[in-house]
Amino acid sequence: MSSQKFFDKLKIQLLFSGPTLFAFFTVVILPFLYGIYLTFTNWDGVSANHSFVGLKNYLAVLDDTAFWTSLYKTMKYVLLTVILINVVGFFLAYMLTTEIRGKNLFRAGFFTPNLIGGIILGFLWQFIFSNVLVYIGEHFKIGIFSSSWLADPDKAFWTLVIVTTWQYSGYMMVIYIAGLMNIPKELLEAASIDGANAFVRLRKIILPLMVPSFIVCVFLSLQRGFMVYDLNIALTNGGPYKSTQLVSMYVYQKAFLSQKYGAGQAEAFVLFLIVAIVTLIQVYVSKKREVEA
Amino acid sequence: MSKLKMMSAAVLSLSLLLAGCGNSAKESQQSEQKKTSSSEVKITFLNSKGEIQAQLEEAAKEFSKENPGITLEVIPAAAGQSPFEKVTSMYASGNAPTIAMVDPGDVKKFADKALDLSKEKWVNDAIDGSLDDAKTEDGKILAFPFAVEGYGLIYNKAVLDKAVGGNFDPASIKTRKDLAELIKKIQKTGVASNLLSPMDWSLGAHYLTIGYSVQSNKFEEVEAFLTNLKEGKEDLTKNEKLNGLLDTFDLLKENNINKKDPMSGTYEQGPELLGKGKVGLWFMGNWAWPQIKGFDTTNGNYGFLPVPISDNPDDYGNSQISVGVTKRLIIDKEQNSPEQQAAAKKFLEWLVYNEKGQDFLVNKANIIPAFKNITLEPQDPLAKSIKAYMNNNKTLRSMVTLPPDHWSQVGAFMQQYLDNKIDRKQLLKQIEGYWKSQQ
Repeated sequence: MSSQKFFDKLKIQLLFSGPTLFAFFTVVILPFLYGIYLTFTNWDGVSANHSFVGLKNYLAVLDDTAFWTSLYKTMKYVLLTVILINVVGFFLAYMLTTEIRGKNLFRAGFFTPNLIGGIILGFLWQFIFSNVLVYIGEHFKIGIFSSSWLADPDKAFWTLVIVTTWQYSGYMMVIYIAGLMNIPKELLEAASIDGANAFVRLRKIILPLMVPSFIVCVFLSLQRGFMVYDLNIALTNGGPYKSTQLVSMYVYQKAFLSQKYGAGQAEAFVLFLIVAIVTLIQVYVSKKREVEA
Repeated sequence: MSKLKMMSAAVLSLSLLLAGCGNSAKESQQSEQKKTSSSEVKITFLNSKGEIQAQLEEAAKEFSKENPGITLEVIPAAAGQSPFEKVTSMYASGNAPTIAMVDPGDVKKFADKALDLSKEKWVNDAIDGSLDDAKTEDGKILAFPFAVEGYGLIYNKAVLDKAVGGNFDPASIKTRKDLAELIKKIQKTGVASNLLSPMDWSLGAHYLTIGYSVQSNKFEEVEAFLTNLKEGKEDLTKNEKLNGLLDTFDLLKENNINKKDPMSGTYEQGPELLGKGKVGLWFMGNWAWPQIKGFDTTNGNYGFLPVPISDNPDDYGNSQISVGVTKRLIIDKEQNSPEQQAAAKKFLEWLVYNEKGQDFLVNKANIIPAFKNITLEPQDPLAKSIKAYMNNNKTLRSMVTLPPDHWSQVGAFMQQYLDNKIDRKQLLKQIEGYWKSQQ
């Protein structure tokens, strides 16, 4: 009897989720498993046969200092962009939920950069950094702009951070605005009657109630930061001399340019583990801080 | 009752799904049959030389006109994407191009997929050495030599004429000292002497590899040198020739128009500066001609100078420029039908022996063909200059079969050296390290 019930349930389950499961399995799970299998081979990406090399690729990952430097750079980039995107995004959202003239226009304006693809954004800002700013710098004798930022390793790194912040803070702003609108007005009103000023209201009421939005936004910006590729390739192309090559680009080049598919795949898998751990920790830690109104 | 409905719905949806799969399978079978049974043959050509895409499409139309029943579709590889990358993804999707234009270093990777071309007529007309790196050990020829290209120091003759006060003779530059004097003379006329563009491919794949080619005039010895490098047996800091080449690099670096900010240069800057006569020399290859032409102020008076590596005029490399086959065509035998392969062979033959094919190569696409029977003279001054070096046997063999990431990795080291971030010793150690990791 109970097994009959179980099968009935399974049938309904399969009816609705079967097609999706099938698609998910074929386009996500299978390639993922196949990718893990490839990390144990020495395939070059095209030849018909490849041999099994065991853990050699993973040992090569440990030895590959260039991989770890690019991972370190990516960490630095992620840390900076997560902070900047969320600070700027929250600030914009906070300003645009007060009684400001033309706030819809501003909201749309700040959101627009997010609608432009990373490649186009990269070329756009490349032109700004190496032509427009240099022209302005030379014209008005501003030392910091007199030579292209993209030609200097440190400044080129900052161009990535700046453009990413510019691109995503508008998107996060939208999420923050939604969060801010959901804060019960009576709480804020009660607090101000009790004599709380704007800063105290922000710290004691708004920020704690905004934790869910922060979780989402930090998660999104973390994950996007680790996975950034298009902007990296279009804006700096890893240059000057590979100093701004972030980890996604490094892995891609390892697999397809150096034609070491197995090694590149192993590095990608290590990257996957790191990103998974970091984001899981982030979600776990911040979930604990959530409060109910 | 409801159970029955549910069941029938499930069966229906499942059968729909299966039917969808079945249909497409049948369809693809049919289309393949169509391909083979009818006289209409459609072949594809993957083009990885973006600058000749329009000309190639034009040539494909001409070819189809003369060979009714064959249509040729030209597929471009995206700029900045390596042809290997594109071809591998096309193979993976079961959609391999009939003809693929690949880099010479990649040819052997396709050994089990490329058609053997050793019986083709053009094999006998190919210039000496142009098939060497497409040959397998058992005598198969896997690829067609599509384009010969060369590089060195391109000079603007108007600027140099003014500098030397008369007619500049490229043969007068035989040593580094000569080059240094020439640079001084150019600077005296108030023009910057030279431009050193900071692209990694230019520095890594072209400039530094001269240092490999000049190791010996016998190619086996160059290959032995590279093997030694891989095994870590070669001490580059003591290598006279490579150091000589880098001494010349220092000279060019010192007088670079971008010296203040060497990494800020772009490729686009080069043709403009050289064409307008703002610099006298630019290290680049003949592929830059279409762009230089756009800024030309000297009525097409340009040519190549060798990059000298020493002060002895007789040293190998001081009067030679680097020339090699830089693009090859392979025909797929795995995913294309015999008819398609035959049509592809026909196209290669058309390029070499048909008047219109030759006209496309030499006049439309500005390519220096690798075939003796093509007597059309190249129209552009840089190709002419390369032809002249070839006719006088004054060429170095370009290093085109290095490991696939050599240009990018070593290019980055060279950029650091150009930007004075590392010194000579560090540079050479990094190059040694790169080769050791290739084992």
